[in-house]
Amino acid sequence: MDEILEAVKKFQKELNGGTASLVLLGVLNNAKSPMYGYQIAKLIEVQTKDADIMKQGALYPVLRSLEATGLLQSEVEPSVSGPPRRYYKITESGRKTLAKWREIWDQTKELVEATTQGGDHDK
Amino acid sequence: MINSIEQYLGELRKEMSGSDRATVQDALSDAEEYLRTALDAVMSDKAPVAESEALAPIIERYGQPAEVAAAYKEVERRTPPVFSRQRVTEIKPAPAPFLPPATAVPTAPPSAAPAVPDNRNIAAKFFGVFTEGRTWGAFFYLMLAMFLGIAYFTWAVTGLSLSAGLIVLVVGLPIFFLFLLSVRGIALLEGRLVEALLGVRMPRRPLFTRQDIGFWQKLKNLLADGHTWTAIVYMVLQMGLGIIYFTVFVTLVSVSLWLIVQPIIGYALDIPSFVIGDYGYFTPVWALPFAVAGGILLLTATMHLVKFTGKIHGAWAKLMLVRE
Repeated sequence: MDEILEAVKKFQKELNGGTASLVLLGVLNNAKSPMYGYQIAKLIEVQTKDADIMKQGALYPVLRSLEATGLLQSEVEPSVSGPPRRYYKITESGRKTLAKWREIWDQTKELVEATTQGGDHDK
Repeated sequence: MINSIEQYLGELRKEMSGSDRATVQDALSDAEEYLRTALDAVMSDKAPVAESEALAPIIERYGQPAEVAAAYKEVERRTPPVFSRQRVTEIKPAPAPFLPPATAVPTAPPSAAPAVPDNRNIAAKFFGVFTEGRTWGAFFYLMLAMFLGIAYFTWAVTGLSLSAGLIVLVVGLPIFFLFLLSVRGIALLEGRLVEALLGVRMPRRPLFTRQDIGFWQKLKNLLADGHTWTAIVYMVLQMGLGIIYFTVFVTLVSVSLWLIVQPIIGYALDIPSFVIGDYGYFTPVWALPFAVAGGILLLTATMHLVKFTGKIHGAWAKLMLVRE
């Protein structure tokens, strides 16, 4: 049982390594105004429903790395009640990258579905 | 069992030990933003509950310190600092008949930046210094350092003496507090500059001050934090360093350029190389090639020194400005 759990965790982690970037870029592409980490995390939490796909803490370093590669940009604004917040928004190169990633994602999805779901392979 | 945000941050710091200091600071800031915002949200819509009780589900969603630390380490490993990005060589996966799992998942594009072995020959290595972004970044930084250094020095000395002078009156304390806060702000800005121009990873966001403590505790924390003081020392020393950098590099660059343009100024413009008293001395024709070659070598060597100084200064800035 343990090795299955281990394998599930490993798979989830590896998958998240790529999808987190895609999801975050997607969220910020659809956002009307810049968003800060907690807002983004909450929005994603609502979308994931009850599935325990990824820890919200794991989103922050991905945001940072997207910024470092120029796909996002950010600025810090002090907030009234709490610590200052870093607001992220997508850049032009981020939008272009997202379009490419979506293509890859669609191809990947088709491939995975075609190969993992039982079906008639001889067709 | 984690009972408070401070305890969480303490454990996260422990888990992150061994990572780059700037990453640790980023991770702590992010965690604090999330945990405090989430805690505020819970506290304001429900009947008052104990912080520790409210915190448990929040941490459950955010991730335990160990998990969060692992996520930062993983991402940091894949994210190059500003200038090393250009050196990433794209490694094309060998064409496989079947989509390999590694490419099936889109990852952040210029991902890993493992130290790319430098295969250039020695001449290309020596003269290639002119084509490296980091050299020009460092050169610009070193020229700028004097002006910033003078501003830092003035600010630090004014702030310290003003606060010290007024400390006997009540107004001295808030002025001192504001001065210390400004030092932290300047340290962050200097850090951004150092990362952009010298390519040394520095904090990308400010360290939060705690919201739940009063003025006195905040002042005490600022005073007790060694990096407030090292930042002031940095600000004071920056002027001296800046003047040295400026003088040394302006001199070296001017001497190199002077050597390189000898044939033009001496024989096309008829300007002597030296003037001593009433006599002008020209560089003899046979020596011109040596002068030009020497100038080019000196200029290139200067640029290597610029790059090296930039690296040392970056390490120094990190030591003085980034909190452990």
